[in-house]
Amino acid sequence: MKQDNPELVDRLAAEYVLGTLRGPARRRFERWRTNTPHVDQRCRYWEEHLMHVAKGLNPVQPPAYVWPAIRKRLNLTADRSPRRWARSWALAASLVLVAGLAGLLYWRSLPSVRPTATSTIAAKSGGEIWQVEVFGTTNRLVVHAAKLPAHPAGRDYELWALPKNGNPVSLGVLPTEGTSTRALTAIQKAALASSSQVAVSIEPPGGSPTGQPTGDIVFVAPLRASG
Amino acid sequence: MSPIAGSSAESPTEFDEQLLNLLSRCAAADASALQRLYELVSPILFACLARILRRRALAEEALQDVFVSIWQRAGQFSATRGRPMAWMMSIARYRAIDLLRHERHVPALVPDLPERLAAQPEAASEGESPAWLPPSGLLEHCLALLTERQKHCLELAFVGGNSHEDISRLTGSPLGTVKSWIRRGLQSLRQCLEADRAVK
Repeated sequence: MKQDNPELVDRLAAEYVLGTLRGPARRRFERWRTNTPHVDQRCRYWEEHLMHVAKGLNPVQPPAYVWPAIRKRLNLTADRSPRRWARSWALAASLVLVAGLAGLLYWRSLPSVRPTATSTIAAKSGGEIWQVEVFGTTNRLVVHAAKLPAHPAGRDYELWALPKNGNPVSLGVLPTEGTSTRALTAIQKAALASSSQVAVSIEPPGGSPTGQPTGDIVFVAPLRASG
Repeated sequence: MSPIAGSSAESPTEFDEQLLNLLSRCAAADASALQRLYELVSPILFACLARILRRRALAEEALQDVFVSIWQRAGQFSATRGRPMAWMMSIARYRAIDLLRHERHVPALVPDLPERLAAQPEAASEGESPAWLPPSGLLEHCLALLTERQKHCLELAFVGGNSHEDISRLTGSPLGTVKSWIRRGLQSLRQCLEADRAVK
Protein backbone atom coordinates (compact mmCIF):
# COMPACT_ATOMS: atom_id res chain seq x y z
CA MET A 1 0.00 0.00 0.00
CA LYS A 2 1.67 3.19 -1.03
CA GLN A 3 -1.16 5.70 -0.83
CA ASP A 4 -0.01 8.62 1.24
CA ASN A 5 -3.09 10.73 0.80
CA PRO A 6 -3.76 11.95 4.36
CA GLU A 7 -7.54 11.83 3.88
CA LEU A 8 -7.36 8.23 2.79
CA VAL A 9 -4.99 7.28 5.60
CA ASP A 10 -7.38 8.82 8.07
CA ARG A 11 -10.43 7.12 6.59
CA LEU A 12 -8.77 3.71 6.60
CA ALA A 13 -7.43 4.23 10.13
CA ALA A 14 -10.90 5.13 11.37
CA GLU A 15 -12.52 2.08 9.75
CA TYR A 16 -9.71 -0.13 10.99
CA VAL A 17 -10.18 1.04 14.58
CA LEU A 18 -13.96 0.88 14.26
CA GLY A 19 -13.57 -2.71 13.08
CA THR A 20 -15.37 -2.41 9.76
CA LEU A 21 -12.18 -2.79 7.74
CA ARG A 22 -12.11 -6.57 7.36
CA GLY A 23 -10.48 -9.45 5.56
CA PRO A 24 -7.28 -9.05 3.54
CA ALA A 25 -7.66 -5.25 3.59
CA ARG A 26 -7.52 -5.32 7.41
CA ARG A 27 -4.39 -7.46 7.40
CA ARG A 28 -2.71 -5.25 4.77
CA PHE A 29 -3.58 -2.19 6.81
CA GLU A 30 -2.16 -3.77 9.97
CA ARG A 31 1.15 -4.34 8.18
CA TRP A 32 1.13 -0.79 6.91
CA ARG A 33 0.49 0.54 10.41
CA THR A 34 3.36 -1.49 11.86
CA ASN A 35 5.79 -0.04 9.35
CA THR A 36 4.54 3.51 9.08
CA PRO A 37 4.61 5.95 12.02
CA HIS A 38 2.09 8.42 10.60
CA VAL A 39 -0.42 5.64 9.97
CA ASP A 40 0.13 4.37 13.52
CA GLN A 41 -0.40 7.91 14.78
CA ARG A 42 -3.81 8.17 13.04
CA CYS A 43 -4.83 4.80 14.48
CA ARG A 44 -3.96 5.91 18.00
CA TYR A 45 -5.95 9.08 17.45
CA TRP A 46 -9.04 7.06 16.58
CA GLU A 47 -8.43 4.48 19.30
CA GLU A 48 -8.48 7.22 21.92
CA HIS A 49 -11.54 8.92 20.56
CA LEU A 50 -13.72 6.01 19.51
CA MET A 51 -13.19 4.40 22.92
CA HIS A 52 -15.95 6.76 24.06
CA VAL A 53 -18.47 5.04 21.80
CA ALA A 54 -18.32 2.14 24.29
CA LYS A 55 -19.26 4.39 27.19
CA GLY A 56 -22.51 2.52 27.85
CA LEU A 57 -20.82 -0.88 28.01
CA ASN A 58 -21.25 -2.42 31.46
CA PRO A 59 -18.21 -4.15 32.93
CA VAL A 60 -18.65 -7.90 33.43
CA GLN A 61 -16.62 -9.78 36.03
CA PRO A 62 -14.78 -12.65 34.32
CA PRO A 63 -15.00 -16.07 36.00
CA ALA A 64 -12.50 -16.76 38.78
CA TYR A 65 -10.50 -19.36 36.89
CA VAL A 66 -9.25 -16.89 34.26
CA TRP A 67 -6.62 -15.10 36.35
CA PRO A 68 -4.89 -18.30 37.56
CA ALA A 69 -4.94 -19.51 33.94
CA ILE A 70 -3.16 -16.33 32.81
CA ARG A 71 -0.65 -16.68 35.63
CA LYS A 72 0.03 -20.23 34.58
CA ARG A 73 0.49 -19.31 30.93
CA LEU A 74 3.03 -16.66 31.91
CA ASN A 75 4.77 -18.75 34.58
CA LEU A 76 4.11 -16.08 37.20
CA THR A 77 4.39 -16.96 40.84
CA ALA A 78 3.50 -13.88 42.93
CA ASP A 79 -0.09 -13.92 44.10
CA ARG A 80 -2.23 -12.43 46.80
CA SER A 81 -5.88 -12.66 47.56
CA PRO A 82 -7.62 -9.68 45.97
CA ARG A 83 -9.18 -8.59 49.28
CA ARG A 84 -5.93 -8.46 51.16
CA TRP A 85 -4.32 -6.80 48.20
CA ALA A 86 -6.93 -4.05 48.15
CA ARG A 87 -6.48 -3.36 51.84
CA SER A 88 -2.72 -3.22 51.74
CA TRP A 89 -2.49 -1.43 48.42
CA ALA A 90 -1.45 1.99 49.75
CA LEU A 91 1.05 0.51 52.14
CA ALA A 92 2.41 -1.80 49.47
CA ALA A 93 2.71 1.04 46.99
CA SER A 94 4.80 3.12 49.36
CA LEU A 95 6.91 0.13 50.32
CA VAL A 96 7.49 -0.65 46.67
CA LEU A 97 8.58 2.93 46.10
CA VAL A 98 10.97 2.93 49.05
CA ALA A 99 12.29 -0.51 48.21
CA GLY A 100 12.62 0.50 44.58
CA LEU A 101 14.67 3.58 45.43
CA ALA A 102 16.80 1.63 47.87
CA GLY A 103 17.22 -1.10 45.29
CA LEU A 104 18.22 1.39 42.65
CA LEU A 105 20.83 2.98 44.92
CA TYR A 106 22.10 -0.45 45.93
CA TRP A 107 22.21 -1.56 42.30
CA ARG A 108 24.15 1.51 41.26
CA SER A 109 26.62 1.11 44.10
CA LEU A 110 27.34 -2.47 43.07
CA PRO A 111 29.87 -2.67 40.28
CA SER A 112 29.67 -6.45 40.48
CA VAL A 113 26.08 -6.66 39.15
CA ARG A 114 27.04 -7.41 35.61
CA PRO A 115 25.39 -9.64 33.07
CA THR A 116 26.44 -13.26 33.36
CA ALA A 117 26.07 -13.72 29.61
CA THR A 118 25.54 -11.41 26.66
CA SER A 119 24.75 -11.67 23.02
CA THR A 120 24.84 -9.07 20.28
CA ILE A 121 22.37 -9.71 17.51
CA ALA A 122 23.60 -7.86 14.46
CA ALA A 123 22.66 -7.48 10.82
CA LYS A 124 24.91 -8.98 8.14
CA SER A 125 26.11 -5.45 7.46
CA GLY A 126 27.39 -5.35 11.06
CA GLY A 127 24.82 -2.95 12.50
CA GLU A 128 23.70 -3.90 16.01
CA ILE A 129 20.00 -4.78 16.25
CA TRP A 130 19.58 -6.07 19.80
CA GLN A 131 21.86 -6.37 22.78
CA VAL A 132 20.79 -9.26 25.01
CA GLU A 133 21.98 -9.40 28.63
CA VAL A 134 21.37 -12.32 30.96
CA PHE A 135 21.58 -11.55 34.68
CA GLY A 136 21.85 -15.08 36.05
CA THR A 137 22.18 -13.98 39.68
CA THR A 138 18.97 -11.92 39.64
CA ASN A 139 17.08 -14.02 37.07
CA ARG A 140 16.57 -11.15 34.69
CA LEU A 141 16.77 -10.90 30.93
CA VAL A 142 17.36 -7.41 29.58
CA VAL A 143 17.14 -6.63 25.88
CA HIS A 144 18.08 -3.28 24.35
CA ALA A 145 16.69 -2.64 20.89
CA ALA A 146 19.06 -0.67 18.65
CA LYS A 147 18.39 -0.18 14.98
CA LEU A 148 15.79 -2.65 13.76
CA PRO A 149 15.58 -3.73 10.13
CA ALA A 150 12.23 -3.26 8.36
CA HIS A 151 9.76 -4.81 10.75
CA PRO A 152 8.17 -8.02 9.47
CA ALA A 153 4.64 -7.46 8.29
CA GLY A 154 2.29 -7.42 11.30
CA ARG A 155 4.55 -9.88 13.11
CA ASP A 156 6.76 -9.97 16.17
CA TYR A 157 10.36 -11.02 16.58
CA GLU A 158 10.79 -13.76 19.17
CA LEU A 159 14.01 -14.67 20.95
CA TRP A 160 15.01 -18.30 21.58
CA ALA A 161 17.65 -20.02 23.65
CA LEU A 162 19.22 -22.93 21.76
CA PRO A 163 20.21 -25.48 24.42
CA LYS A 164 22.78 -28.06 23.34
CA ASN A 165 20.39 -30.91 24.00
CA GLY A 166 16.77 -30.26 23.29
CA ASN A 167 14.37 -27.91 21.57
CA PRO A 168 14.60 -24.13 21.44
CA VAL A 169 13.15 -22.41 24.53
CA SER A 170 11.30 -19.13 24.06
CA LEU A 171 12.75 -16.07 25.79
CA GLY A 172 9.80 -13.93 24.76
CA VAL A 173 8.94 -11.37 22.13
CA LEU A 174 11.72 -8.88 21.39
CA PRO A 175 11.14 -5.15 21.87
CA THR A 176 11.08 -3.03 18.71
CA GLU A 177 12.34 -0.01 20.62
CA GLY A 178 13.78 0.85 24.01
CA THR A 179 14.71 -1.70 26.63
CA SER A 180 12.70 -4.60 27.96
CA THR A 181 13.38 -6.38 31.21
CA ARG A 182 11.75 -9.61 32.18
CA ALA A 183 12.09 -12.33 34.76
CA LEU A 184 13.60 -15.62 33.71
CA THR A 185 11.75 -18.81 34.57
CA ALA A 186 13.68 -21.83 35.83
CA ILE A 187 13.24 -23.48 32.41
CA GLN A 188 14.57 -20.44 30.57
CA LYS A 189 17.50 -20.13 32.95
CA ALA A 190 18.43 -23.79 32.53
CA ALA A 191 18.13 -23.50 28.75
CA LEU A 192 20.36 -20.43 28.70
CA ALA A 193 22.93 -22.14 30.90
CA SER A 194 23.40 -24.84 28.26
CA SER A 195 23.15 -22.56 25.22
CA SER A 196 26.02 -21.10 23.30
CA GLN A 197 23.72 -19.43 20.81
CA VAL A 198 20.43 -17.57 20.70
CA ALA A 199 18.11 -17.26 17.70
CA VAL A 200 15.42 -14.88 16.51
CA SER A 201 12.36 -16.01 14.59
CA ILE A 202 9.45 -14.18 13.02
CA GLU A 203 6.17 -15.05 14.74
CA PRO A 204 2.51 -14.01 14.89
CA PRO A 205 1.84 -10.99 17.15
CA GLY A 206 2.48 -11.92 20.78
CA GLY A 207 4.81 -14.78 19.90
CA SER A 208 4.68 -18.36 18.68
CA PRO A 209 1.37 -20.00 19.56
CA THR A 210 3.01 -23.43 19.75
CA GLY A 211 5.97 -22.79 22.06
CA GLN A 212 8.37 -23.61 19.22
CA PRO A 213 9.54 -21.35 16.39
CA THR A 214 6.91 -21.38 13.64
CA GLY A 215 8.33 -18.71 11.32
CA ASP A 216 11.69 -18.14 9.66
CA ILE A 217 14.76 -18.01 11.88
CA VAL A 218 16.22 -14.69 10.84
CA PHE A 219 19.18 -14.34 13.18
CA VAL A 220 21.44 -16.66 15.13
CA ALA A 221 24.04 -15.10 17.40
CA PRO A 222 26.61 -16.45 19.86
CA LEU A 223 25.82 -16.18 23.59
CA ARG A 224 28.95 -15.40 25.54
CA ALA A 225 29.49 -15.89 29.25
CA SER A 226 30.78 -12.73 30.89
CA GLY A 227 31.13 -11.03 34.26
CA MET B 1 -13.95 29.16 27.88
CA SER B 2 -16.14 26.62 26.19
CA PRO B 3 -17.32 23.82 28.46
CA ILE B 4 -15.49 21.32 26.26
CA ALA B 5 -12.17 23.11 26.02
CA GLY B 6 -11.05 21.90 29.45
CA SER B 7 -11.56 18.23 28.73
CA SER B 8 -8.76 17.79 26.24
CA ALA B 9 -8.27 14.17 25.32
CA GLU B 10 -4.57 14.58 26.00
CA SER B 11 -4.33 15.33 29.70
CA PRO B 12 -3.75 12.10 31.63
CA THR B 13 -6.19 11.38 34.46
CA GLU B 14 -5.28 9.89 37.80
CA PHE B 15 -6.55 6.55 36.51
CA ASP B 16 -4.26 6.85 33.45
CA GLU B 17 -1.31 7.51 35.76
CA GLN B 18 -2.19 4.47 37.82
CA LEU B 19 -2.41 2.28 34.71
CA LEU B 20 0.84 3.69 33.34
CA ASN B 21 2.59 2.95 36.58
CA LEU B 22 1.27 -0.62 36.56
CA LEU B 23 2.29 -1.11 32.92
CA SER B 24 5.82 0.05 33.58
CA ARG B 25 6.01 -2.35 36.52
CA CYS B 26 4.77 -5.13 34.23
CA ALA B 27 7.56 -4.20 31.83
CA ALA B 28 9.96 -4.79 34.71
CA ALA B 29 8.41 -8.25 35.22
CA ASP B 30 6.49 -7.38 38.39
CA ALA B 31 3.74 -9.98 38.49
CA SER B 32 1.79 -8.25 41.26
CA ALA B 33 1.39 -5.24 38.93
CA LEU B 34 -0.23 -7.45 36.32
CA GLN B 35 -2.59 -8.83 38.94
CA ARG B 36 -3.59 -5.33 40.02
CA LEU B 37 -4.05 -4.33 36.38
CA TYR B 38 -6.20 -7.40 35.86
CA GLU B 39 -8.38 -6.46 38.82
CA LEU B 40 -8.83 -2.96 37.46
CA VAL B 41 -9.45 -3.52 33.77
CA SER B 42 -10.43 -7.15 33.18
CA PRO B 43 -14.18 -6.49 33.73
CA ILE B 44 -14.39 -3.86 30.99
CA LEU B 45 -12.11 -5.78 28.61
CA PHE B 46 -14.14 -8.93 29.24
CA ALA B 47 -17.35 -7.03 28.49
CA CYS B 48 -15.82 -5.83 25.18
CA LEU B 49 -14.75 -9.34 24.24
CA ALA B 50 -18.02 -10.99 25.23
CA ARG B 51 -20.01 -8.44 23.26
CA ILE B 52 -17.98 -8.99 20.09
CA LEU B 53 -17.48 -12.75 20.38
CA ARG B 54 -20.96 -13.53 21.76
CA ARG B 55 -19.75 -16.76 23.30
CA ARG B 56 -18.57 -16.71 26.88
CA ALA B 57 -16.08 -19.54 26.56
CA LEU B 58 -14.46 -17.86 23.59
CA ALA B 59 -14.37 -14.52 25.41
CA GLU B 60 -12.73 -16.14 28.45
CA GLU B 61 -10.08 -17.64 26.23
CA ALA B 62 -9.55 -14.32 24.48
CA LEU B 63 -9.22 -12.49 27.81
CA GLN B 64 -6.28 -14.74 28.64
CA ASP B 65 -4.66 -13.96 25.29
CA VAL B 66 -5.17 -10.24 25.90
CA PHE B 67 -3.43 -10.25 29.29
CA VAL B 68 -0.59 -12.38 27.95
CA SER B 69 -0.16 -9.73 25.23
CA ILE B 70 -0.34 -6.86 27.71
CA TRP B 71 2.36 -8.49 29.84
CA GLN B 72 4.60 -9.17 26.86
CA ARG B 73 4.12 -5.79 25.24
CA ALA B 74 4.03 -3.61 28.36
CA GLY B 75 7.65 -2.60 27.73
CA GLN B 76 6.71 -1.20 24.35
CA PHE B 77 3.98 1.01 25.76
CA SER B 78 4.96 4.46 26.89
CA ALA B 79 2.98 7.52 27.83
CA THR B 80 3.75 8.98 24.41
CA ARG B 81 1.61 6.21 22.98
CA GLY B 82 -1.46 7.81 24.47
CA ARG B 83 -3.99 6.54 26.93
CA PRO B 84 -3.24 3.13 28.41
CA MET B 85 -6.94 2.22 28.48
CA ALA B 86 -7.29 2.91 24.74
CA TRP B 87 -4.21 0.77 24.11
CA MET B 88 -5.51 -2.16 26.16
CA MET B 89 -9.02 -1.92 24.78
CA SER B 90 -7.58 -1.96 21.25
CA ILE B 91 -5.57 -5.09 22.02
CA ALA B 92 -8.80 -6.73 23.20
CA ARG B 93 -11.00 -5.54 20.35
CA TYR B 94 -8.52 -6.44 17.61
CA ARG B 95 -8.00 -9.86 19.17
CA ALA B 96 -11.77 -10.42 19.16
CA ILE B 97 -12.11 -9.26 15.56
CA ASP B 98 -9.28 -11.60 14.57
CA LEU B 99 -11.03 -14.47 16.31
CA LEU B 100 -14.27 -13.67 14.49
CA ARG B 101 -12.36 -14.27 11.29
CA HIS B 102 -11.52 -17.81 12.39
CA GLU B 103 -14.90 -18.47 13.98
CA ARG B 104 -17.19 -18.27 11.03
CA HIS B 105 -19.32 -20.98 12.58
CA VAL B 106 -20.27 -18.73 15.48
CA PRO B 107 -24.05 -18.88 15.61
CA ALA B 108 -25.00 -16.13 13.24
CA LEU B 109 -25.90 -12.75 14.54
CA VAL B 110 -27.84 -12.79 17.70
CA PRO B 111 -30.01 -9.73 17.25
CA ASP B 112 -29.56 -8.66 20.86
CA LEU B 113 -27.51 -5.64 20.11
CA PRO B 114 -29.72 -2.85 18.87
CA GLU B 115 -30.38 -1.56 22.35
CA ARG B 116 -28.97 1.90 22.88
CA LEU B 117 -25.51 1.60 24.24
CA ALA B 118 -24.38 5.18 24.46
CA ALA B 119 -25.70 7.42 27.14
CA GLN B 120 -28.10 10.04 25.94
CA PRO B 121 -26.27 13.22 25.06
CA GLU B 122 -27.94 15.23 27.78
CA ALA B 123 -26.79 12.71 30.38
CA ALA B 124 -23.25 12.89 29.14
CA SER B 125 -21.68 15.09 31.74
CA GLU B 126 -18.11 14.51 32.82
CA GLY B 127 -19.06 13.17 36.21
CA GLU B 128 -20.98 10.30 34.73
CA SER B 129 -18.16 8.73 32.78
CA PRO B 130 -17.57 5.20 34.01
CA ALA B 131 -14.39 4.76 36.02
CA TRP B 132 -12.48 3.13 33.17
CA LEU B 133 -13.21 5.91 30.68
CA PRO B 134 -11.44 9.26 30.84
CA PRO B 135 -14.02 12.04 30.73
CA SER B 136 -14.27 13.68 27.34
CA GLY B 137 -16.85 16.38 26.99
CA LEU B 138 -15.49 17.03 23.51
CA LEU B 139 -16.20 13.53 22.27
CA GLU B 140 -19.64 13.53 23.84
CA HIS B 141 -20.32 16.83 22.16
CA CYS B 142 -19.13 15.58 18.76
CA LEU B 143 -21.04 12.30 19.04
CA ALA B 144 -24.19 14.23 19.85
CA LEU B 145 -23.87 16.01 16.50
CA LEU B 146 -24.23 12.75 14.55
CA THR B 147 -27.56 11.52 13.30
CA GLU B 148 -29.16 8.72 15.33
CA ARG B 149 -28.50 6.30 12.49
CA GLN B 150 -24.84 7.22 12.19
CA LYS B 151 -24.37 6.85 15.92
CA HIS B 152 -26.21 3.56 15.99
CA CYS B 153 -24.03 2.15 13.19
CA LEU B 154 -20.84 3.25 14.96
CA GLU B 155 -22.01 1.49 18.13
CA LEU B 156 -22.95 -1.69 16.29
CA ALA B 157 -19.49 -1.72 14.70
CA PHE B 158 -17.30 -0.58 17.59
CA VAL B 159 -19.07 -2.24 20.50
CA GLY B 160 -20.71 -5.19 18.77
CA GLY B 161 -17.85 -5.98 16.38
CA ASN B 162 -20.29 -6.09 13.47
CA SER B 163 -19.11 -5.81 9.87
CA HIS B 164 -20.78 -3.61 7.26
CA GLU B 165 -22.73 -6.66 6.09
CA ASP B 166 -23.83 -7.56 9.65
CA ILE B 167 -25.06 -4.02 10.24
CA SER B 168 -26.92 -4.02 6.95
CA ARG B 169 -28.72 -7.19 8.05
CA LEU B 170 -29.35 -5.98 11.60
CA THR B 171 -30.79 -2.65 10.55
CA GLY B 172 -32.48 -3.90 7.39
CA SER B 173 -30.74 -1.18 5.40
CA PRO B 174 -28.90 -1.61 2.09
CA LEU B 175 -25.18 -2.26 2.37
CA GLY B 176 -24.23 0.88 0.44
CA THR B 177 -26.35 3.01 2.73
CA VAL B 178 -24.77 1.53 5.85
CA LYS B 179 -21.30 2.13 4.45
CA SER B 180 -22.08 5.75 3.75
CA TRP B 181 -23.70 6.33 7.19
CA ILE B 182 -20.52 5.04 8.77
CA ARG B 183 -18.20 6.94 6.48
CA ARG B 184 -20.08 10.19 7.01
CA GLY B 185 -20.37 9.59 10.73
CA LEU B 186 -16.61 9.21 11.03
CA GLN B 187 -16.05 12.21 8.79
CA SER B 188 -18.29 14.41 10.92
CA LEU B 189 -16.59 13.22 14.08
CA ARG B 190 -13.21 14.12 12.70
CA GLN B 191 -14.35 17.51 11.48
CA CYS B 192 -15.85 18.27 14.87
CA LEU B 193 -12.71 17.11 16.73
CA GLU B 194 -10.40 19.05 14.42
CA ALA B 195 -12.53 22.18 14.60
CA ASP B 196 -12.13 22.15 18.35
CA ARG B 197 -8.38 21.76 18.04
CA ALA B 198 -8.18 24.60 15.54
CA VAL B 199 -10.02 26.88 17.98
CA LYS B 200 -7.56 26.17 20.80
